[in-house]
Amino acid sequence: METQSTMKATLQEHARYFTVPGAQLYTVLHQVSDPVARVLLVGPFASERHFSYHPWVRWARYLAARRIEVLRYDYRGIGESTGNFEDMSFDRWNEDVQLLSDWFIEQSPSVPLILHGLELGAILAAKSFQMGRGDALLLWSPPANANQALRSSLLRWARLEQIFESPENRKSASDYIRQLEQNSFIEVQGYQWSSRLWHDSFHCDLPGNMVDDAAANQAYRKPVKIVRFGKDATSVVMPYARYDEVKDISWLYSLSFDWVNGALEVSAGGRNERSD
Amino acid sequence: MNEAIETRELIVLDGMGAIVPGTYHKTHKNIPDLQTHGVERDRVGVLFLNGLLATRASNGDAAVYWADSFAQHGYPSFRIDLPGYGDSEEDPPPEWLNFINQGGYASIVSAKIRELVARFNLSGVVMAGHCAGAVSAVYAAAAGRECQGLILMDPYFHFQQTNRSQIRKQLNLWALQSPLGRFLSTIYDLLKEIRLTFRRNVAPENANVPLLRCWKDLASTGLPILILKAPVRKTPGMKPRVGEFDYLSHALRLAGRRSRVVVKVTDGANHSFANHLGREAVRMHAQHWLDECFPLDTCNGSSVSSLRPTPIDSAHEYENREQRQKVTIPRGKVRINANDCSI
Repeated sequence: METQSTMKATLQEHARYFTVPGAQLYTVLHQVSDPVARVLLVGPFASERHFSYHPWVRWARYLAARRIEVLRYDYRGIGESTGNFEDMSFDRWNEDVQLLSDWFIEQSPSVPLILHGLELGAILAAKSFQMGRGDALLLWSPPANANQALRSSLLRWARLEQIFESPENRKSASDYIRQLEQNSFIEVQGYQWSSRLWHDSFHCDLPGNMVDDAAANQAYRKPVKIVRFGKDATSVVMPYARYDEVKDISWLYSLSFDWVNGALEVSAGGRNERSD
Repeated sequence: MNEAIETRELIVLDGMGAIVPGTYHKTHKNIPDLQTHGVERDRVGVLFLNGLLATRASNGDAAVYWADSFAQHGYPSFRIDLPGYGDSEEDPPPEWLNFINQGGYASIVSAKIRELVARFNLSGVVMAGHCAGAVSAVYAAAAGRECQGLILMDPYFHFQQTNRSQIRKQLNLWALQSPLGRFLSTIYDLLKEIRLTFRRNVAPENANVPLLRCWKDLASTGLPILILKAPVRKTPGMKPRVGEFDYLSHALRLAGRRSRVVVKVTDGANHSFANHLGREAVRMHAQHWLDECFPLDTCNGSSVSSLRPTPIDSAHEYENREQRQKVTIPRGKVRINANDCSI
């Protein structure tokens, strides 16, 4: 019997609570001795956590096995973190990213930090990157704004509800949206969405210069990689299965890791230039 | 960065060579005492087992809510990620659902219960399992003596068809969405009902016989069991959809006269019980049931029961349909009434 701190050496995963204003964030550090880089994983929106968890953990382990230390966490009010979801806002979740990236940088400032966001997390990671945090940025399936992520979750939820609800109780996605616009709460995957969250989501945008890799690289002069999974660049498609299968996305891990490797070289070169 | 906060602690159970991460929800009443002794003696703990593809927080973080509530009420609660789930080290077994349906997690859950009982000086554990987690809970309860009771949310007693053809999936969708499809689906259900009647309600081929056997052995000993049932499409209450075999009634018959099985239908809940009505109904029914079966000794906070209860002679406690009220829960305080939940 042991606590997380003395967890078996092979795993080297340390779950801890991290204090932020008014809540405790659940974090898992995939610790590596003498890391070549650090990655902060900024996950998708609440309703997607459940489905993305397994590929997200596997990605963290994939990186840790290659000497990249990883920190992943649950947003305030979601999953293992404390706080009431209904009281949360994009500003608070933004603050989570900033506080954690600051903590991660403090651990050893000489090791480069990569911010990696998925879906809504891509917007939040990009915002922190824009404010100067991190040496490189990796985005999986970034929506144009948070509303696109919410809308995408809502569409999937409404489709599912169509299957389980009787015809008289069925609601379409537009019925739910109407409710939100009339200042009511709706419930999606067990989370209560407020109309405030819905309205705020229109103003939580991906920074304008992050439409593609080239524009972002040029704007920030740091490595940025944007991976989109849908046929249409504006769609938010997740790289994981929905309900009934564990999907093999090793191709994505390998592709992203190759980019991280390249980014680290570029980043190290940039730093040397600056120090020269 | 801390492993523990005022009301929770992150734990790892590492017995039997399997590392199982989890969260322990401390009882609020005893927090000063906990700080001194670090343990909660002689209480019945509640262990949550989640369904397929979920983390220990469960869908919509419902298990976090229930564990917080039960702990606040005096029952230390635990949520764990079994191998293949959440933060556990392993990948899921290739045939995950079959693995669960055949009792694949029984030995590990039973071992983890023993660890919890020893580590937290519990008198025993009540397992709360949802869907596939309920199946694992039944198998695990039969595999050891430390389980004092079961809370089963939408348990199933049959082998589910995992690989449906694409044509079948499309057909199902069409039957749900178009008026003609719904009409034909109703006819199909009636034909199945006729077939079922001719078969004299014998359990069909997809019955999970080892699970039913395990259930029978367990329930017939008088182990307190609470079954929470979410309504299914096309049928209200406890009954299954027309044309489907009534596994729940079959399981209750198997349990026998000495069983202590209580069934509650949670109106308004969806299958995950993660929606507001579902999670409130689970909290109220389960809390009421815990208080009845494992009352807390108010003097020292310990629960009265310390051994698996001996069989008692009592009939099934079915929910009285007439007494059942439509649960509509406003965003305010909720209290429990002796028979059901009310506002």
